[in-house]
Amino acid sequence: MDFVSVGEYMAESKSNENWEPKIVAFCCNWCTYTGADLAGISRIQYPPNVRVIRVPCSGRVNPFYVVKALQEGADGVLVSGCHPGECHYITGNLSARRKFAMLKNFLSYIGIDPERTMFSWVSASEGEKFAQVVTGVTEKIKALGPANKLVKSI
Amino acid sequence: MKNVEKQLREEAKKLLADKKVDVIVGYEAGTLPLQTSPCFITTPDDAEKLVWNSFCSQNLAKYVHDIIHQHKESQVRVKPEEKTKKIVGIVARGCTTRSLVIHLQERQYGRDEVVIIGVPCTGFVAKKKVSILTDGKEVVEASVNGDTMSVKTAGGDKELPLKDVIADNCLSCPFNNPIISDMMIGSEAPPMDVDSEYHKVNEFEELSIEERWAYFTKEMEKCIRCYACRNACPSCYCKICFVEQSQPRWVGAGDDPADTQVFQIMRMFHMAGRCVDCGSCIEVCPMGVDLRNFLKKLDKDGVELFAHRAGESLDNPAPLSTFKMEDKEEFIYEP
Repeated sequence: MDFVSVGEYMAESKSNENWEPKIVAFCCNWCTYTGADLAGISRIQYPPNVRVIRVPCSGRVNPFYVVKALQEGADGVLVSGCHPGECHYITGNLSARRKFAMLKNFLSYIGIDPERTMFSWVSASEGEKFAQVVTGVTEKIKALGPANKLVKSI
Repeated sequence: MKNVEKQLREEAKKLLADKKVDVIVGYEAGTLPLQTSPCFITTPDDAEKLVWNSFCSQNLAKYVHDIIHQHKESQVRVKPEEKTKKIVGIVARGCTTRSLVIHLQERQYGRDEVVIIGVPCTGFVAKKKVSILTDGKEVVEASVNGDTMSVKTAGGDKELPLKDVIADNCLSCPFNNPIISDMMIGSEAPPMDVDSEYHKVNEFEELSIEERWAYFTKEMEKCIRCYACRNACPSCYCKICFVEQSQPRWVGAGDDPADTQVFQIMRMFHMAGRCVDCGSCIEVCPMGVDLRNFLKKLDKDGVELFAHRAGESLDNPAPLSTFKMEDKEEFIYEP
């Protein structure tokens, strides 16, 4: 088996014109994941760069998951949940909103492009919106290039 | 300050003689110049050891937490009717009382388990600033007289204006008088230069993203993962720190610069809405990492986004432990 270290992968990505970003998406089970499912059933086409991780609620997402994802080499992270006031667990997304407001400001302050960490509200009936969110996020991250900050190479 | 010291000793003696406290955490003259040591006095005679001057740097709330929790652990197997309460007295300046408020809000102990002896504060001397002004020569003796500090070094004597050696966080401190206290020694201290509090953060925000990243990585390259900052910080009291967890493994312990950067990001983010800017982490850092630049940004966000200052009042809970329907959501992406 041929193992490639993250450092080598990054070097390859930089020189490769066909580089496609790898984006980790934390999708809340009740709204965003269902919305994504609806997008699939409706056969709406959107870029395949997103890797979905299903969580019960956007409030479940520890801000450090976002930091770890960036450290492991994700080119971008998307966290998406129910609209405020519609959380299946009543207030989970409200907690998440505060956490991610601070996290995004902090990461952008220390020099990590703010467009690498994106947050959105997508409800279960918004299949089209999910496709638009993924398309928009993928375009932004493609423009930024491969992840080169915080990435662990050893 | 001398007056405050004398009164402090008297009050401490009284508290211990009346058995209102089991131990008082305060500062005593240290063995090195420019620095006092934390001390723990249990008898009225020991009250003479207490000092209060410009060399009292460490935030003592950390020790209060440690003492009370060690006592609670020792009581775990004791029968309920035989359990005893340990009451800790503490010599607390402004930022120390804010740390105590944070501990109380986070239910680490009850208000009746701590006796807060408030003292006025005009800042402590930062050893690194003195070292720069004495060209790195070792300081043998130091004393403060009004607005000047006299230092005796291996290479001669020097007089330094006090405001040039007071720590950065003290110079712009808006809370230099105790927020809560059971008694106040002396009169309130005059206000510090509050307007300049976020100047450095505002300047840093004007830089380009690559410049900010370059500064962050440069500072973090200095970090040797000694964890002195974590040990000195009163808000860092977890029994098992995230660094020591292996399931899940949040941060590696190896050489990779990304590991050190992630450790600092995570530790500082744990301070969101909980950092009182006491300067203890910066004083103890052996490598002089500029932590304050990043921690102050979290403080500024707390103020701008959630109208909250760490530990400013017992009624105002930490920003990340609560939420409002009207919270700002400009950062949310709408395609």
